[in-house]
Amino acid sequence: MKLLDEFHGIRDDPYTYGKKLKAERNRKIIGYFCSYTPEEIIYAAGIHPMRLFGAQGEITLADTHFQAYCCSLVRGALEGALKGKLNFLDGTVFPHTCDSIQRLSDVWRLNTSFGFFADVVLPVKLNSESARRYMTDVLSKFRNNLEKGFGRRIEDQHLRKAIDTYNHIRTYLEQIYSLHSENPHIISGSDVYAIVRASMIMDRDDLLDKLPAVVEGIKRGDTDADNGTKKRILLVGGICNHPDVYRILEKSGGSVIWDDLCTGSRYFSGIIDNSGDPVESLANRYMERPVCPAKHLSVKSRGEHLVNLVKEKEADGVIFLLLKFCDPHAFDYPHMKEYCNRQGIPCMVLEIEDRLPTEGQLLTRFETFMHML
Amino acid sequence: MYFAGIDIGSITSKAAILKDGRVIGVRVIFTGYNAELAGWNVYRELLGELGLVASDVDKIVSTGYGRNSLSFVDKAVTEIICHGTGAHYLYPHVRSIIDVGGQDSKAMVLDEGGRVKDFAMNDKCAAGTGRFLEVMARALEVDLDAFGDISLKAEKAAKISSICTVFAESEVISLISKGEQRESIIAGIHESVASRISALAMRIGVREPVMMTGGVAKNRGVVKALEKKLRMTIEVSEYAQTNGAVGAAVLAMKL
Amino acid sequence: MSRFMKDLLIYCLAKAKKAKLGLSKNKGMRDIMTVYYMEAKTARLSRRKVAWITSGGPVEPLIAMDIIPVYPENHGAMIGASKMGAELCEKAEEMGYSRDLCSYARSDISCATVNGGPIGGLPRPDMLVCCNNICGTVLKWYEIQARYFNVPLFILDTPFCHTEYAEEMKRYVKRQIEEYLVFLEDVCGRKLNHATMEKVGRLSVEGQQLWQAVLDTAANRPSPMTAFDAFFHLALIVTLRGTQITVDYYRNLLKTLNDKVEKGIGAVPNERYRLLWDNLPIWYRLRWLSKKFAEHDACLVADTYTTAWCGTLKYMDENKFLDSMAEAYTRIYLNIGIDEMAKTVMDMIDKYHVDGFVMHSNRSCKPYSLGQYDIRRIVQEEKGIPCLVIEADMTDERNFSESQVATRINAFMEMIKERKG
Repeated sequence: MKLLDEFHGIRDDPYTYGKKLKAERNRKIIGYFCSYTPEEIIYAAGIHPMRLFGAQGEITLADTHFQAYCCSLVRGALEGALKGKLNFLDGTVFPHTCDSIQRLSDVWRLNTSFGFFADVVLPVKLNSESARRYMTDVLSKFRNNLEKGFGRRIEDQHLRKAIDTYNHIRTYLEQIYSLHSENPHIISGSDVYAIVRASMIMDRDDLLDKLPAVVEGIKRGDTDADNGTKKRILLVGGICNHPDVYRILEKSGGSVIWDDLCTGSRYFSGIIDNSGDPVESLANRYMERPVCPAKHLSVKSRGEHLVNLVKEKEADGVIFLLLKFCDPHAFDYPHMKEYCNRQGIPCMVLEIEDRLPTEGQLLTRFETFMHML
Repeated sequence: MYFAGIDIGSITSKAAILKDGRVIGVRVIFTGYNAELAGWNVYRELLGELGLVASDVDKIVSTGYGRNSLSFVDKAVTEIICHGTGAHYLYPHVRSIIDVGGQDSKAMVLDEGGRVKDFAMNDKCAAGTGRFLEVMARALEVDLDAFGDISLKAEKAAKISSICTVFAESEVISLISKGEQRESIIAGIHESVASRISALAMRIGVREPVMMTGGVAKNRGVVKALEKKLRMTIEVSEYAQTNGAVGAAVLAMKL
Repeated sequence: MSRFMKDLLIYCLAKAKKAKLGLSKNKGMRDIMTVYYMEAKTARLSRRKVAWITSGGPVEPLIAMDIIPVYPENHGAMIGASKMGAELCEKAEEMGYSRDLCSYARSDISCATVNGGPIGGLPRPDMLVCCNNICGTVLKWYEIQARYFNVPLFILDTPFCHTEYAEEMKRYVKRQIEEYLVFLEDVCGRKLNHATMEKVGRLSVEGQQLWQAVLDTAANRPSPMTAFDAFFHLALIVTLRGTQITVDYYRNLLKTLNDKVEKGIGAVPNERYRLLWDNLPIWYRLRWLSKKFAEHDACLVADTYTTAWCGTLKYMDENKFLDSMAEAYTRIYLNIGIDEMAKTVMDMIDKYHVDGFVMHSNRSCKPYSLGQYDIRRIVQEEKGIPCLVIEADMTDERNFSESQVATRINAFMEMIKERKG
């Protein structure tokens, strides 16, 4: 499918896309790092929300700010900013995520100047009424800050339209995941990955124009995917910056049929009820969506969610993708693995830094795991 | 009926041939830069040694990092599966295998049928691999092959606390300058390697009987330190280095 | 009881061994801590509840409810000081925890499963109280322990104050303080006595004021105490804040220190250079570090760590303790932006007449360590004093290279000597 080339292109080189969007359409762009960023509010202000994933390549400038035991997402992100690769941004937003992103926010505020800057200090616990009220307060405050920062009003109707747009986008993305899950031969995992990743980068109206054609194309079987037997794999972790994981996994006889990733299903899970107060509705989605390990819903919620996903998606095995120095995920891993063991779900772990292990080593691990399933 | 297994490792290439279910020959050569050539050479040399020709062999399975570069084999299988199969074939009672080579270390747990139930590999850090020992041998100016025997003479093990190979090397150098006995430094190095490997093995629930394979298995000092860490006895396979190739040959038999 | 007596014996021996290190001659501390751990370990017999709580957590309501607070972080420090950290951390790694995780958390998690460590494990908790004002790590750590012990967990979620303590944060934390009291009442099955709570609140504020006064004595030349002494005396303001014992202890300590000031007795015999320490102590190398600096006639007169337990006095109102507690617990040193942290550091440099800044870059503590390079730059620009970064870890001695640290300290001290003569 020709259309997919565009998604791959954007995924490969998001900064060029950002620059073009700025140069050709004079769009205001706000960068963000976390799936808890209230994109709908940014969109409602007529500003383009663009997710940043950390820069590829050597990290040198960021080393004067962060120690080596800081994760490559944080160091890479700062590197991109300091090297001037993000100069197309009109601002950045930092929702409260983990200890490292929190400090990135401070260092960013003190060392970069992209115009608008906001910390959206969301609650960490999501299981109380007071947290829900606080979540709503924080989102309202962000709305006001954006209005002040860009001198525009964000009316309720703008927010409703934004929620509507995002509901549509999320529905399409979920549909694409489902199509692939039902028939892993219909489209390759790397293509699905490229679509979801590009969705966080592209202009959302353009995206929404294109997604129906993508879905139709997939249904028609208009996509290239090989026909070998595929073990059904659930990928679990934070962000996955490595399209090669999908390709090498398919080479070794598996396919990612669903995920619990921040750059995957956690991004599009949860359709928002658009009938009530729009800010409250946004808050409600965050209170109920599958959680990131840096947030607290209950002591068992992530393990239970994982087991349910395995059952629901009929996965053969689970691969935990851990970013080195990512504390919240590393703390959850032994317990998540235990959950799998108790249920007899085979699982393996892959710890990666900024670069993947060599393809040979990765193939060995994946092939062995496929053999075990 | 003859079956062959070829294991192309990063440093050495190994071949094994089975006849009627028995290992009749193994061979080891250096891999060099061309994995395919090494695979072909070690196989051809072994055939020659046994007085066989290629057409005598029914099926061939390749394994190791170069497994996919051989065009003349019937199937390529990862070395983890082959190590498991090989160990189970030679020693059916074995439930865990610890394989420590030059560049990586692996641990596997097998079920009753010899299938790999869980496995773990070291990350890209050199701690807990043969390379770590190599670096330390250089710092001490001692032949690596003598490491095992020397350490067994130690009365105590010097404490080497750093995980990082570079830090550990500087620790070793400062121990030398403090006049610490060579035997106890080497014993300390072995304990450090053993604690990395045991952490890897414990993570996947290692259980007895444990077998050790790979080049480092030839080092008695590491084996002893590992036994102490795991509080388990460890058997060293007589096919320590060629166990993967034997496993590949066994898998060829089952094709 | 025999198991308990054994534990107690091990604990006393460990403490006695530590006393021989000569960091402090204060016997009172050991007695108080022994009795405290004895009480905690026999809580079952006295039918009292035990709560595990984070070091920055609101302990006063627990004291008022007669619940015994137990601090896994204090336990972590004891494990580190007894040089048992590496072994317990390794055990946690075998359980699947990455070696990059906080070494307090790793050693506590594995310790709970084997009842190991210097005091044979902490007493089993009846509840867990986690305040995330110090890090996100405690949230994960307490989730793990809540699953392991299967006990209720209360999380006091204190929003991060990058640049402000905003109205909505105030409302959120205040509501949670109310929820916290309800939680305690539910678990204990009885009501909080508000008169007792007020008394505990006053004692807490008084204790913190005294602790501040103790630390302030170091502004004198020569300083009657070093940061290494502060690391030792700190235990009470962390664990028994809000009790009379703590107030009495620091009052006595203050008297002793003031006597020394009057007589001009310094903690470091020939104090010539005055340094400020940043981050947690390197528990397993305290004596070595203390000797190393003393060799250069340098005294660590203050640190950013121990001041954290009196750093928010400005937000506290002893007459409305519960009300002011919300703000005081939210705006602690680690829960603020690095520019405000740098300001605090610079205030300390002025107050204690500091010649050099020593930063421990602590692999275990990201909120404390990430951002240190920027703080160093700000301090160097504004104060022009030399700064040193030591790469280490508070409990896991495998991340410490003695020769590397020694070289750096020597070079740093040469710089200071050159500047000051």
